[in-house]
Amino acid sequence: MTPAIEIDHLSYVYPGGRKALSDVSFSITPGECVAILGPNGAGKSTLLLHLNGLLPEKPGRNGCVRIFGEPVTSETLHRVRQQVGFLFQDPDDQLISATVREDVAFGPLQLGMAVEETTKRVADCLRTAGIGGFEDREPHRLSHGEKRRVCLAGVLACNPQVLVLDEPTSDLDPRGRRELKTLLASLKVARLIATHDLELAVDLCSRAIVLDEGRVVAEGPAVDVLANEELMLRHGLEKPHSLLHRHPHG
Amino acid sequence: MHQGDISGSKTWVHRLPAGIKLGGTLLLVCATAVLPREPHLAYLVPAALVLVLWAASRMSLRFAFKRLLVAELFILGIALLSLLAPEARPVVFSALMKSNLCVAFMLVLVWSTPFHQILMTLRGMRMPSIMVTTIALLYRYLPVLGEESRRMQRALASRTFRKGKRFQWRMLSVIAGQLFIRSANRAERIYMAMCARGWK
Repeated sequence: MTPAIEIDHLSYVYPGGRKALSDVSFSITPGECVAILGPNGAGKSTLLLHLNGLLPEKPGRNGCVRIFGEPVTSETLHRVRQQVGFLFQDPDDQLISATVREDVAFGPLQLGMAVEETTKRVADCLRTAGIGGFEDREPHRLSHGEKRRVCLAGVLACNPQVLVLDEPTSDLDPRGRRELKTLLASLKVARLIATHDLELAVDLCSRAIVLDEGRVVAEGPAVDVLANEELMLRHGLEKPHSLLHRHPHG
Repeated sequence: MHQGDISGSKTWVHRLPAGIKLGGTLLLVCATAVLPREPHLAYLVPAALVLVLWAASRMSLRFAFKRLLVAELFILGIALLSLLAPEARPVVFSALMKSNLCVAFMLVLVWSTPFHQILMTLRGMRMPSIMVTTIALLYRYLPVLGEESRRMQRALASRTFRKGKRFQWRMLSVIAGQLFIRSANRAERIYMAMCARGWK
């Protein structure tokens, strides 16, 4: 089976000379949900930006990153971005339009979708994201959780086969976090989630990859990786509360 | 010129099609701009129109005066002219009248028309897409920048133990500089997010 994401010896140095990624390799199968864990500055966001061809500024021809077998290069960027949906950490970076409707329609219209079909897609995606009827709302009047959902609806509207999420639960209250988790669990596409929310990784991801100083330092079934307390502490993380002891409340 | 909450107030001015309001406003602004450059009875016509539209749209005084005040700062610069050259007073008067009337017409427009409708009308009028996008982004990110500025000011105030205007002005310039840098960084992230959704 062709992997949804394949990363082969990827290294990246920022223009200032700071080494961000060093010889990173892994792959993800279609439908799989994988967590990228690591301390601040580990290179998680930098890695995610490579999946959409947003870094490096001019993707080369070396094909270190492949999406469904297609290398991410300047020539394939257009197709790759159709397949990879990217949820940014700060919703305000992603919500650019004056209304929710226009924002969710932004991607489909860029892809050349007809207006009637886009209208239907917008309504469907808003319903999927749990904010049906928000079409005429203005983004700056939404709560943080609502903004996050609109962003997700905007990504889903492009019908991606791979979802890349950068800290999707940061700044969400417990209810917002729980609802987003349920929503993400219901999606059938490949999901790569960079997060500090270790409970989310336990609940949602079948596999976890630990990144530190730009290198992959551990990879395996999420529960096994996260239960390794020594590994977690060594890389600025910690064993999730749910794995410390059994909870009578489930 | 960010909009207040206009969802609750619905007058006949609100119900007019956005295209008519935008076209009418442009017409009134242009007509006001070509009025004589000295005190003249002709100014009573746009002034009366402004008052009628203001009352009909039930535009709040707070909404209007807060925004008119911003325009006044620019007028002050011209008013200084009349101090230096008394013969320039008629020009200053006309500039004062014209600018305030034009801003008032624009305020009635933004008070009574949802912003996305104004953008749609501009697109319909074949305004270059890059200009519409720029206006849309400006409208979208003004509150974000405003909020960021407020957060920085609060954070700074919590650690400021010195009094004195000079120090405050210096801190204000620090905030302005930081805001500029943060805006540039945010602009980069926004561009990336747009590219991620197929922007070309």
